[in-house]
Amino acid sequence: MNYSYIYKELIHHRHRTLVNILGIGVGIALFVSINAVSTAYQEAISLPFKNLGADIVVQRPEKRAIDSSQAPAAMRGIRVPFSNQLLPEEDIAKLASIDGVAGTASSLLLWEFDKGGFRTIMGVDLLKPGLGPVKVKEWIRDGRFPQKEGEAVFEKHYAKFHHVTAGDTVTIGGRSFTIVGLLEIREGSQIASANIYLALDDAQKLLPGDVRGVNVIYLRLQNPSLLGKVKTEIAGQVKGVSVTSSDSFLELMGGVSKISEQFSMLASVIAFGGALFLIIKTMLTNLVARSNEIGILKAVGWTGKDVRKQLIGEALVQSLAGGVLGLFIGYSISYLIGFLEIPIATPWEINLMPAFAKDTEAASKVVRLPVSISAGLIMASIVLSVVTGAISSYFMGMRTGKMKPADILRRL
Amino acid sequence: MSKETILSGTDLIKRYGSLEVVRNVSLSIGAGEFVCLVGKSGCGKTTLLSILSGLEKPTSGQVMLDGKNITEATEDELALFRRDNVGFIFQSFNLIPTLSAWENVALPLFPVKMAGDERRRRASELLEKMELGHRLEHLPAALSGGEKQRVAIARALINKPKVLFADEPTGNLDSATGDAIMEILKNLHTEEGVAILMVTHEVELSKAADRIIRMHDGEVIA
Repeated sequence: MNYSYIYKELIHHRHRTLVNILGIGVGIALFVSINAVSTAYQEAISLPFKNLGADIVVQRPEKRAIDSSQAPAAMRGIRVPFSNQLLPEEDIAKLASIDGVAGTASSLLLWEFDKGGFRTIMGVDLLKPGLGPVKVKEWIRDGRFPQKEGEAVFEKHYAKFHHVTAGDTVTIGGRSFTIVGLLEIREGSQIASANIYLALDDAQKLLPGDVRGVNVIYLRLQNPSLLGKVKTEIAGQVKGVSVTSSDSFLELMGGVSKISEQFSMLASVIAFGGALFLIIKTMLTNLVARSNEIGILKAVGWTGKDVRKQLIGEALVQSLAGGVLGLFIGYSISYLIGFLEIPIATPWEINLMPAFAKDTEAASKVVRLPVSISAGLIMASIVLSVVTGAISSYFMGMRTGKMKPADILRRL
Repeated sequence: MSKETILSGTDLIKRYGSLEVVRNVSLSIGAGEFVCLVGKSGCGKTTLLSILSGLEKPTSGQVMLDGKNITEATEDELALFRRDNVGFIFQSFNLIPTLSAWENVALPLFPVKMAGDERRRRASELLEKMELGHRLEHLPAALSGGEKQRVAIARALINKPKVLFADEPTGNLDSATGDAIMEILKNLHTEEGVAILMVTHEVELSKAADRIIRMHDGEVIA
């Protein structure tokens, strides 16, 4: 392979070279941007769980059938949500002992109703700092998280709406609390976005009567690929619970996400296949135009292998240049698409708001698509561009192998 | 000058379908001999030259070049044999338009493992001999017809060939330039001792040769 010859050939026929590079570039750009956006979509959907460090959320809904769209007329004070009945200790122990579960954390979700409306209160297990709603500690904007009895953290917008701030004393469930911090809910974290956060002990003391307990269990798996297996195990071992994972968001997005996933694969294949076809066709057409040159090379002693190596060199340089250009264009397109926002609906069983609540903000959060180009995607693009070069070279090699120097030179 | 046979063809026949272009030709060329193959256009001269130089295989018959039977060789073996043993000069020069004069001369050496400087040195030396030392970096498009043909001759000589095959080397040149090219070929023959087989339809040019072989309708007639 003579690099100077490759360079001169490509530069001399710059129009042809540019068309080839652009063709590969467009194919790779489509491949990169479609895949990046598809991955971002999946990423956005997994955000609610990712932000909690959990893979699965387990709850126990009320057994009796209810019309969740109607607020019970007599509902006042503190109560557990319909979909979050208290879980028995033995169920919690069973969940923790399931194969594949790396860690568990629990919380107590409460609703408090009064004449003015309702609010959501979450009692957080402070002993499990990396799992569950306790992770909202990382989102504190002002002050700190509760450290002792009688302390509360308010969600920033809720606090502003109710004209309270850090240092104020408020009454929750008939008990007095000091606001020690304000936090801001992170994008896509609707399954942990309560109005008020308390230490778990404090929240449990708000329950009517002498009951204690938790009603949301967060499970972290040893490996995300165990999700299906663990969900099946839970369904078999712990009766009457609802099991939610990021899959549930995916199911809720339903057609859109599935179509998106399938479409992205199909579109990638079509885009790349189209580009590949175009490149091979262009390169083979060019080869016919270059048959005189190939005849000369063979006449002066180049073997078929020597000619092929030269053509492979040219094809690879163009393919790699096209790959790099495609990555750049693909990244630019993905960057721009990253400004788009998509709504993520929350499955009803883990929506913290009552279904009859007029304020359904938490039921559907709008998040920016977290578009990024992974190292894997970069590698895949480079490999694809090299494959384009290799496939084109293979066809060109087949074509040049059949070229006889005497036949070509006779025409000159 | 040795007259030992360097190239011979025996009972050569070439057919394209039902058309017989070369008919039972046998000939031989001695080492350092200058032979002209003359005849009218379409009489089979170029096809015979292609067969004798290993560019094309005969339908039947045998070609021995420097003691080797090249008729049985594969395409790649023939290519390597051509690179190491023969040089070509074509009517239409057949230079690579994207390469400079010295690179065109060094073209047969590109696939050979050799330092780039050595390639350039050998090509430059030959171009100096062709009085083109000042045109090393010029592309073929910037050269005159005579200069292009001198570059082509230099390319044909880069591997110190035993036989030089020239197909109408002055066909695309004016008479003065053609004479100059013929002068170079004669010098190569007399001074370097290179065997030359030149195809031409111009009887005048053939006078420079040691021997003339005439062809008519695919047959050698004299």
